Amino acid sequence: MNAVASVVQEIGGTLLFLQSILRTMFYKRIKIHEVFEQIWKVTVDSFLNTSMAGFFVGAIMTVQFTMQMKEFGALGYLGGLATSGTFREVGPLLIAFMLSGKVGAFTSAELGTMRVTEQIDAVRCLGADPLQEIIVPRFIGIIISSFFLLGAGLIMSVFGGMLMGQVFAGVNYEEYLRHVPTIVSPISIINGLVKCGVFAFVLATICTYKGYTTTGGAKGVGRSVVATAVATMICIVVMDWLTSFIGESMLQMIQGYR
Amino acid sequence: MLSGLSLKIHEGEIVFILGTSGTGKSVLLKNLVGLLTPDEGEIWIDGVEVARFSEEEYLPIRKKCGMVFQHPALFDSLTIYENVAFGLRRHYQLDEDSIREKVDKALRLVHLHGIESKRPAQISYGMQKRVSLARTVALEPRILLFDEPTTGLDPVTTTAVNQLIQDLSRELKTTSIVVSHDMNCALTIADRIVVLDKGQIVEQGSPAELKRSTHPLVKDFLAEVLEA
Repeated sequence: MNAVASVVQEIGGTLLFLQSILRTMFYKRIKIHEVFEQIWKVTVDSFLNTSMAGFFVGAIMTVQFTMQMKEFGALGYLGGLATSGTFREVGPLLIAFMLSGKVGAFTSAELGTMRVTEQIDAVRCLGADPLQEIIVPRFIGIIISSFFLLGAGLIMSVFGGMLMGQVFAGVNYEEYLRHVPTIVSPISIINGLVKCGVFAFVLATICTYKGYTTTGGAKGVGRSVVATAVATMICIVVMDWLTSFIGESMLQMIQGYR
Repeated sequence: MLSGLSLKIHEGEIVFILGTSGTGKSVLLKNLVGLLTPDEGEIWIDGVEVARFSEEEYLPIRKKCGMVFQHPALFDSLTIYENVAFGLRRHYQLDEDSIREKVDKALRLVHLHGIESKRPAQISYGMQKRVSLARTVALEPRILLFDEPTTGLDPVTTTAVNQLIQDLSRELKTTSIVVSHDMNCALTIADRIVVLDKGQIVEQGSPAELKRSTHPLVKDFLAEVLEA
């Protein structure tokens, strides 16, 4: 019962914190240079990892699809299907996991350390608002940079898929790319972008909240980082299901009207 | 944590608040600057009741009540100059020359200069504590709150910081409230010493009066000084 109560309390705390962030974003001046600094930092720090992950996701998807496509003698559609699957589902999910492990944990540890070493209290005493100075730039920075990282990851996934298509299935690059424009529809891309935005929003909220509310010294910082990793992973998977469900329902509704 | 505590501090006084760990000394200071809100009770600063003030309303209070934290609490990503200038930029509308002048003056007060371009990680812990003090003093607050200013410092730096507290109080005519475990220092520079235990005041008075106290906790503190 206590565990349930503490989960409910955490959800409530996170939502109230999100409300404060949004209120600060809309009613106070945003420090644009700080936001750009965060976007640059997050993008540069995670670019290599995300690109590498994207490359291998594309390769894995191609290997998996090759097995099925071979049975139906439809290897010509390999590139289109593998790329569509990556763009719609696996790409945003994997990039969110990568960001959760790297950016989420880092932000939570950074803010947690600032909290336990009284830097956040010092900001308040020196006449500034910690939400405006510290939290909002990180929050916006994580969300915007996730789109850049998604783009880089998805482009690399196409290269990974092309390479595996050539090596594993004997499909040349031209053949691999031929059906990509027909199968990867604008809806697939919008779907991927929406998912990416939702995951980044969830990640940015959780990691800033966990870091900001850290207590208990170095041990507390460790606890916050672990809690951030666990909570973001769970929430990203739940949001993945939810966005897929809502997306499919909306698609069916639109098709029904037509 | 604090219960039934009533304390009046006069302008220009140096008051030391002593007590064992966990008695609520730091909580008392944080309540004064609005970092914590009391469940009940009143806090009066310069004739204004501030206990239920909002964050915005607290801004002018924080301008006159500077707090030096237990940790140096310097911002890692900023240079020493930017750290000291941080509060000046937020509290006052000053041009860069005036800010530079005030930063320079504050750093000289704590006997540090020539380190403006360094980052906190590039200077020692003792120096970080003094920079933290300079950052607070730069705002020229009328009330200075010190949360264990000498914890983690070597004896030489401890003496220097204590001397600094006394000098600042005398030169800038500030009221100083110092939370500390250091009875020796309290006996040397305090105008009044307040001893807290379990969230309540168990003894208070001038250093001479404290030396005559029969309270067991005060005697323990005094015994440590005598042993030293």
